[in-house]
Amino acid sequence: MGAFEYRQAEEIRDAFGRHGVRYLFIGKSGAILLGYPDSTQDADLFLEKTAVNGNAAVRAIRELGFELTDDQAAEIERGKDFVQLKNGPFDLDLVFAPDGIERFSDAWSRRHEVSGFPVCSIDDIIASKRAAGREKDRESLSRLESFRDYLRSRGLT
Amino acid sequence: MNNAVVNKPKRNVPPEWLAEFEAAARRPLRQRWKYAFIKTYKPVMDDARYRSFDTMAEYREWCEKNLPRWLGYGRV
Repeated sequence: MGAFEYRQAEEIRDAFGRHGVRYLFIGKSGAILLGYPDSTQDADLFLEKTAVNGNAAVRAIRELGFELTDDQAAEIERGKDFVQLKNGPFDLDLVFAPDGIERFSDAWSRRHEVSGFPVCSIDDIIASKRAAGREKDRESLSRLESFRDYLRSRGLT
Repeated sequence: MNNAVVNKPKRNVPPEWLAEFEAAARRPLRQRWKYAFIKTYKPVMDDARYRSFDTMAEYREWCEKNLPRWLGYGRV
């Protein structure tokens, strides 16, 4: 499988939009949408944890070409906190309860729209990375915070 | 407030990062995306087609127990 392409991000946006999925790009892929220059491997999506949204997400994900068994679909509909999909045209992480963010509705109210992509605020992206407390995030946090300062200095957040 | 003040970062952004942020801001999104996404094989992590965890704590614990330390998924 090759690198995650912009065309595939558009496919997510369009399929999720058609099915009315409530979601946000989070993590480094979200930061990249906001303009952050860095590298990553896959996209992390923060989904609202409701049965209706989980059902809509399953329909959209299947439409994108992911091969979900009925048990796997049921887990997504139920909103398990973290689901990692590598059974489709690209890798996708679904996060229903990211560390450091209390409620989806809060993050939704702070979101940005970038070319139709709903994206977590840079504050929420930083908060989730800080709360995750992983070694791989430690170095990127200060750079992300500098990027937040850069955005603020230009009135972009 | 005058623009010169507004446009100054609130704290010191290292000059090399500032230059990178400004260069990125000049690129269209599609190009930024192309530069950002790189696929490399991650042992263990990439060896299953599907995983799920009831809680993030379970996921973090699984990462710490199962992934090679150098991947960086361990908690600080």
